[in-house]
Amino acid sequence: MRLTKFLTILALCSVFALAFAGCTKSKDSASPSNSSAPPASEQSSATPSADEAAAKLEKLGLDANLRFKETRKITVEIYDRGNTGGSKPEDNVYTKFIKDGMLRDHNVEVTFVPVPRWTEGEVLNNLLAAGQAPDIGVTYSYPTIQTYANMGGITDLAPLVDDYKDLLPNLWGYLTESNINWDRDPNTGKLWALEARLNVLNRINTFVREDWLKKLNLQAPTNLQEFENMLKAFKDNASTLLGKDADKMIPFSTSFDVGWRTDHLTTSFVPDNITDKDLYVYGFDDRKLLYPNYKEGIRTLNKWYNEGLVWKDFPLYPAGDKTEDNLMKAGFVGAFIHNWDYPYREGEDGITANLHKLVGPDANYIAVEPFPNDAGVYRKFLSAPVDRKVFFPATNKEPLASMFYLDWISKLENRVYLQFGEEGKTHEKMPDGSFKTIAATDEYIMNSPANIDYTITSNGLDTGNPDLTAKSIANGYAGVDARLIEIANKITTHDGRVGKNAKAGEIKAEEGQGEALSKKRDAFLDQAVVAPVDKFDAVYDAGMKDYLNSGGQAIIDERKAAWEKLYGSETMLK
Amino acid sequence: MAAAVRRKSLGYMKRYWVLYAMLLLPVSFFIIFRYIPMNYIQIAFKNYSIVKSPMEMEWAANHGFEYFIKAFSNRDFLYALRNTLLLNFLDLVFGFPAPIILAIIFNELAFKRFKKFTQTVAYMPHFLSWIIVAGMALQLFAPSSGLVNIMLNKLGFESIPFLNDSTNWVITYIALGIWKSVGWGTILYLAAIAGINPELYEAASVDGAGRMRNIWHITLPGLRPTIIVLLILSLGHILGSEFDRPYALGNKLVTDVSNVISIFVYNYGIRGLQFSLSTAVGLFQSVVGVIFLFGANALAKKFGDRGIW
Repeated sequence: MRLTKFLTILALCSVFALAFAGCTKSKDSASPSNSSAPPASEQSSATPSADEAAAKLEKLGLDANLRFKETRKITVEIYDRGNTGGSKPEDNVYTKFIKDGMLRDHNVEVTFVPVPRWTEGEVLNNLLAAGQAPDIGVTYSYPTIQTYANMGGITDLAPLVDDYKDLLPNLWGYLTESNINWDRDPNTGKLWALEARLNVLNRINTFVREDWLKKLNLQAPTNLQEFENMLKAFKDNASTLLGKDADKMIPFSTSFDVGWRTDHLTTSFVPDNITDKDLYVYGFDDRKLLYPNYKEGIRTLNKWYNEGLVWKDFPLYPAGDKTEDNLMKAGFVGAFIHNWDYPYREGEDGITANLHKLVGPDANYIAVEPFPNDAGVYRKFLSAPVDRKVFFPATNKEPLASMFYLDWISKLENRVYLQFGEEGKTHEKMPDGSFKTIAATDEYIMNSPANIDYTITSNGLDTGNPDLTAKSIANGYAGVDARLIEIANKITTHDGRVGKNAKAGEIKAEEGQGEALSKKRDAFLDQAVVAPVDKFDAVYDAGMKDYLNSGGQAIIDERKAAWEKLYGSETMLK
Repeated sequence: MAAAVRRKSLGYMKRYWVLYAMLLLPVSFFIIFRYIPMNYIQIAFKNYSIVKSPMEMEWAANHGFEYFIKAFSNRDFLYALRNTLLLNFLDLVFGFPAPIILAIIFNELAFKRFKKFTQTVAYMPHFLSWIIVAGMALQLFAPSSGLVNIMLNKLGFESIPFLNDSTNWVITYIALGIWKSVGWGTILYLAAIAGINPELYEAASVDGAGRMRNIWHITLPGLRPTIIVLLILSLGHILGSEFDRPYALGNKLVTDVSNVISIFVYNYGIRGLQFSLSTAVGLFQSVVGVIFLFGANALAKKFGDRGIW
């Protein structure tokens, strides 16, 4: 009996709860119409005396200072990197700066939606599919945007950037024609994303242990043979260099991502006179796998591996694993190819600081240029000056307010504040006017280097003055000899060939292929590197054949056709 | 007559309505979270669009079977299918009997304290995630820095490529699976053993049966219904595939055996945004699983056991 009573009460409660929920909902839906009614009348009463420009602003609900008359609300994606000791990515000093600024300058209320950095793709999929995607989205993956655009999930930005051009001086001024129209489809005229600007084109460097060179009386290698001799010298003199740890010697280190980690080596085998057409047609893979003669670079690595010059366990460790870093920190690694500033990053936790602690103050990695190509040029293939892609999902109800957000975030003074933070907290001004960043631990802590997660239209330091920017970059590596940074900064773009935009539009064959093909690439390159020398050709060729048959060839063919349709027999871009 | 039946059923409902009311919640759970989502199975037969509901999406080409054809003409999918079957079959052959044997060994242990202790230790790996197990495997089995290989080298042996050779990797994969699940798997069997009438053992001993005879003629027959039920259930998973185990343990050198269906779905479907393709693959997996489940159940019934329904 008691149970019956209890259940009856439960049922009654839930009925009330439902009814109550229904009431609040109806109240909610009623309130906007109430608040939006007065501005409508205001609008109609204010129009008469205005001239044409003012009338346009009036129509958009703006006053003369480009402020909305009625507060608008937008949501913006923000990466959540989950840093230990970091601040809440959606609520901290910097988000407050942006929110206050947007409310003050445009009367737009901004809410940040955190999206985990490392599972970005999956989370964005879910948000888009659920219709809950933030009004302004950011991703590094253009294919993701293209796929959703094909499903009707993305707003076409072309009319927005064109119609509101005069309202968005900072956006147009900073991104310029080139980045704004980078992705505009030549056939349909649609524009699904704006390309953020990449200020620093630094990409990859080859590093060797400077102190080992000195100990063995070697010069910095300047060609492949010298580099190989150096690796052999490291191996043969392991007991001199490492003492009782001689068996831990790793002359050359790489990771499962062989494409990235041999970039300078493989690039040196690509003919110097490769045309823009070939760079585009064979340019689908971001590790340049399809470039002519790439195989010979991998063959060199295969030879080294079989001679015991390469870290034996490299293919076993997944992305993000710290084992290799720890081997570098412990001083066992002689040379490697990686991001242009890799050993200098992360201050106290970084490779250089640990080398100094564990090995000695003169233990350093120095950038070298050992791989000339067939023309004797130390070529580097650099990316185009584009970075993340900013897009508006189709659910965006405030395209103009969202555009104002992009304009605001592209304004120099706002960018500079977000990059360098508060003086005395996150940076100090040097006598020469450059910025020196200080690692903050309090509320001013930045969750991403130079707050790149907030400056979504910009990546890489930019003070508005190239000279100051270069100095500020060098100031950014605490505990590292500035000489090493300067060398690395110079070498990484030396003889560089900057990527160009073929503007060929969508390549249908690429849809949904990126991930599967790059997994394939990593797997077969790893397998080819560890194969016995006499099996190398068989393993590599079988892997490449599988890659091409699984969609690679279709992409090449479609890219080729798209190029020829646009440029005919022309092989270079203007 | 009719009135009497009606009165009877009315009386029944009056008496038991509370129980039915309690059933409402679990039933609605299954309707909302298990049956309504089945609506989305349609995605396998349609061109997926994020902005449309599954009802409005257009049918895929080839009478809706476009994505099934695509999957079966994809070499990677066929390899994934083969690897899934291979790994699950080996798991079944070696992994299924392991807890039975262990449970019998536990049962024969004379010292109760020692038995309790070993049992607890054997359960422990079950609580580790595959990510942690994979990390431990790397620490132990890496060719040049793994503990086991360093010891082998010190003893004058060559390193064994536990993780970087396809055949060895499969053995490591199966062995780690057994290590992780064997202890936990004994729980059901030990419970079944506890249910066997002790008088049977006493009678057998009086008749002169030794330990092995006891196990063969009393313990194993006593376990038979449990074994059958668990076997049927695991046959239902023959095409199912775990994600974290092969993904965490795998590496680039063994992709020819470690790429299973779940990894295919992850790479093509979730990372590659081909939702229709991965739904088709998932549906195929479920259908095969159901066929195996029914087949095994029918077979069990034919041989005189109860089956699971």
